[in-house]
Amino acid sequence: MNPLPPLSLYVHFPWCVRKCPYCDFSSYALREPLPESRYLDALEQDLAAQAPEVAGRQIGSIFFGGGTPSLFAPATIGRLLERARAALRIEPDAEITLEANPGTVERGRFAEYAAVGVNRVSLGAQSFDAGQLAVLGRIHSPQETRLAAEELHAAGLGNFNLDLMYGLPGQAVSGAERDVQEALALAPAHVSHYQLTMEPGTPFAARPPALPDDEQSLAMLEHCRERLATAGLAQYEVSAYAHPGRRCRHNLNYWTFGDYLGLGAGAHGKLTRATGEIRRTTRPREPRRYLAAARAPVSCTLVAERDRPFEFMLNALRLLDGFELSLYEARTGLPASTVVERLQSLAAQGLAVVTDTRWRASERGLRFLNDLLVAFLPPSRAAVER
Amino acid sequence: MQRIRNFSIIAHVDHGKSTLADRFIQICGGLQAREMQDQVLDSMALERERGITIKAQSATLYYEARDGQRYQLNLIDTPGHVDFSYEVSRSLAACEGALLVVDASQGVEAQSVANCYTAITQGLEVVPVINKIDLPSADPARVKKEIEEIIGIEAQDAALVSAKTGEGVPELLEILVRRIPPPEGDPQAPLQALIIDSWFDNYVGVVSLVRVVNGTLKAGERIRVMSTGRSHLADKLGRFTPKSVPAAALSAGEVGFVVAGIKEIDGAPVGDTITLDRRPTSAPLPGFEQIKPRVFAGLFPVDSDDYEAFREALAKLRLNDSALHYEPEVSGALGFGFRCGFLGLLHMDVVQERLEREYHLDLVTSAPTVVYEVLRTDGGVELVDNPAKLPPVNDIAEIREPIILASILVPPEHVGAVLKLCTEKRGRQRKMQYLGTQVSLQYELPLAEVVLDFFDRLKSASRGYASFDYEFERFEAAPLVKLDILINAERVDALSIIVHRENAYHRGRELVDKMQELIPRQMFEVAVQAAIGGQIVARATVKALRKNVLAKCYGGDISRKRKLLEKQKEGKKRMKQLGQVEIPQEAFLAVLKVGRR
Repeated sequence: MNPLPPLSLYVHFPWCVRKCPYCDFSSYALREPLPESRYLDALEQDLAAQAPEVAGRQIGSIFFGGGTPSLFAPATIGRLLERARAALRIEPDAEITLEANPGTVERGRFAEYAAVGVNRVSLGAQSFDAGQLAVLGRIHSPQETRLAAEELHAAGLGNFNLDLMYGLPGQAVSGAERDVQEALALAPAHVSHYQLTMEPGTPFAARPPALPDDEQSLAMLEHCRERLATAGLAQYEVSAYAHPGRRCRHNLNYWTFGDYLGLGAGAHGKLTRATGEIRRTTRPREPRRYLAAARAPVSCTLVAERDRPFEFMLNALRLLDGFELSLYEARTGLPASTVVERLQSLAAQGLAVVTDTRWRASERGLRFLNDLLVAFLPPSRAAVER
Repeated sequence: MQRIRNFSIIAHVDHGKSTLADRFIQICGGLQAREMQDQVLDSMALERERGITIKAQSATLYYEARDGQRYQLNLIDTPGHVDFSYEVSRSLAACEGALLVVDASQGVEAQSVANCYTAITQGLEVVPVINKIDLPSADPARVKKEIEEIIGIEAQDAALVSAKTGEGVPELLEILVRRIPPPEGDPQAPLQALIIDSWFDNYVGVVSLVRVVNGTLKAGERIRVMSTGRSHLADKLGRFTPKSVPAAALSAGEVGFVVAGIKEIDGAPVGDTITLDRRPTSAPLPGFEQIKPRVFAGLFPVDSDDYEAFREALAKLRLNDSALHYEPEVSGALGFGFRCGFLGLLHMDVVQERLEREYHLDLVTSAPTVVYEVLRTDGGVELVDNPAKLPPVNDIAEIREPIILASILVPPEHVGAVLKLCTEKRGRQRKMQYLGTQVSLQYELPLAEVVLDFFDRLKSASRGYASFDYEFERFEAAPLVKLDILINAERVDALSIIVHRENAYHRGRELVDKMQELIPRQMFEVAVQAAIGGQIVARATVKALRKNVLAKCYGGDISRKRKLLEKQKEGKKRMKQLGQVEIPQEAFLAVLKVGRR
């Protein structure tokens, strides 16, 4: 019997001041006063309902994500952490991250979050070009981002991440580099550097702006990576860069196919049981429905064995260091033989690399990760029937 | 037998044949109102979608005529596209008469002329019918004149009907009964039944549609298929009304189906004669002329594991499509498949679609080609149906291409455009004649130019008014060369085509441009080249994709990411792997998509 995977806690806050046209996360524009205490009550009920599922297991990281969690008062976050500590076994040095958007946090508030236990912040900077921020529908100015970063340092939250996007409408390689340079000036411990992509169902997908071609966006990626590396932030995942010792523990748990408890509207969870069963849980996505039904049973689906190789690779191949075959076996409960042949064939195509028993995508494979992942999709039902 | 009428309907596509058949079925009560689905005889889903009849279908109807008698009407359906004209003669062989249906505003079309001649040659009584008289643009007087001038049959008393509204249809049934003669034949003679059509049913095996010419066939008797010499128990007989209705016997003059537990798919070939085992006839009926396919292409399963399934599917299709030819082919690029012969491009399309839809096969088709006659320097002559099999240039004395004689009918205002098209297609005019409201053209054309896109081009040049029919004439020497396509410097045998030297550069250019458009960008740069012998005549490059990776992935809902990747995988499945390059099916048919200027 394998030991259970490490466990994290994710708490979702589904409201934003405004919904950005590129965003496909579960978030809703705030049209009425924030139902702060009602949502807190619902989260507490949700916690009480789900806690027994993970009785006795240690939690190594907590992530308050959204939406815009920083719309919620430090006291609310504090109260929730208090409840979580009472109901779950949170490690004393657990990483506790709060997502914040510049322009939603008034002066002095970061110190208050730190005081209630938050020890890491992820700041949605996106760009330092005021024109781009407007196109992206952001409510903040570059100056507000700078002020927020200053505040973070002052509050002792030097362990913060900046979210940056590249491949923005009309952006040149120099523009993307300038954004990185501006970000580095704020001395973040971590940078998430994403390419802007058109996600189905978003306003951008319906009316796509003119984006740089993939020649240019590859150049942006390469130039920016170089600058980040020079500043000491090494890439460790497709879009993640960090100073040594500052990798995001919470996200690493996703990428190593760990377990997570999901609280809040639209939150997803993944839990492995002692029997080897892996279940995915979902909560009602719409805030109103969630508020009404936080006590309702959690809906869940089992991850079939045939789907596990793909789900593991979807995460683990994103890591530049890759994974040990023993980790694959521990997390999926399947023998390495279920994937080794496919990995070898990818290696023969120059897309994957193996060192002893550690596999990773090659530099080229990382650029064509989707082509690698396709190799791990289970055969379609029609093909199986035939 | 005096009260049996066997007939077909000859009509151009869209002239309302199926609607008229529906109306007959309705009047004769073959189906309850709730069973009536528009155009019931076009039963294959594919036919319904394309609005053309591909396979012969049949219906036995009972009609109470005004003379107080009850008549058995056997309607044998016929296809309406030029590619399927051989099926028409098969259907006509089972009939004593035919209704020639002409659209009251469109007038006579070339296809109907050809089919009508076939009917007259086979000794059938042809009854002219002018349909769609309810349309405001209907001009029956003009159409009557056209029928007389172009086809040369008496048309002043042509039946005027609207199959859509039903007007004139009861009168037409009366005319039909009066003018079409009853069948002749001796119910007491030894059995001779002509197989009009056979198809494979997964539950009962082979089902054959037959016309009993002489004798009587009873359920439960042992029959003998004359070409195979094998005997089978005829355990089920019946008629299509168009529902299948069991019958105890089918006797001389009648049309119906036979199920005799024949499991092997070539056990009852179309055109064969069925007789009785205990009292066989001395001679089989004259069968049908073996149809020669004119267009050849290699068909290859995308997944090589499907090869056996593909072979079986072809065998089943061939059972009731005797024009379909196939033999194994091995392609360097596409692996194991079959070289298939078709009557024309529509036939090829239909076969490919049926294989994919009815047999769930994913197929790649190589560039279609006509058959060439090659005179070798050693004096030998051979037929080449695959450009890859063309002998080395030094062994070729000359290449001869098939020439057809095309008959085209077109209204005078579009003659100019049609003449221009024929010239562009290397045509030579043989005849041009003004016949009332239409111009009749005869052109000698290289078949290779015709199979590609001539039909579509003709339609657009004449705003849909020109009609066209053709027959094979002869092989004729021409300056032809083989044009090869190279993908990343590898010659792809399945993409080679034979072209006229004058068009070679231009074709090569168009072809590589089209391929560049059709091949999706992938991890590697893809170079597409056209070459004649060792000389590269055109080149295009499909730029490499730079990346293909999801920007974000954090736990959460993975179903959408998965769907996206599954779509990508589905796309790959439809492509054929050539070395490291993935080529979509359509790219193999790029040759069909060029040549439009």
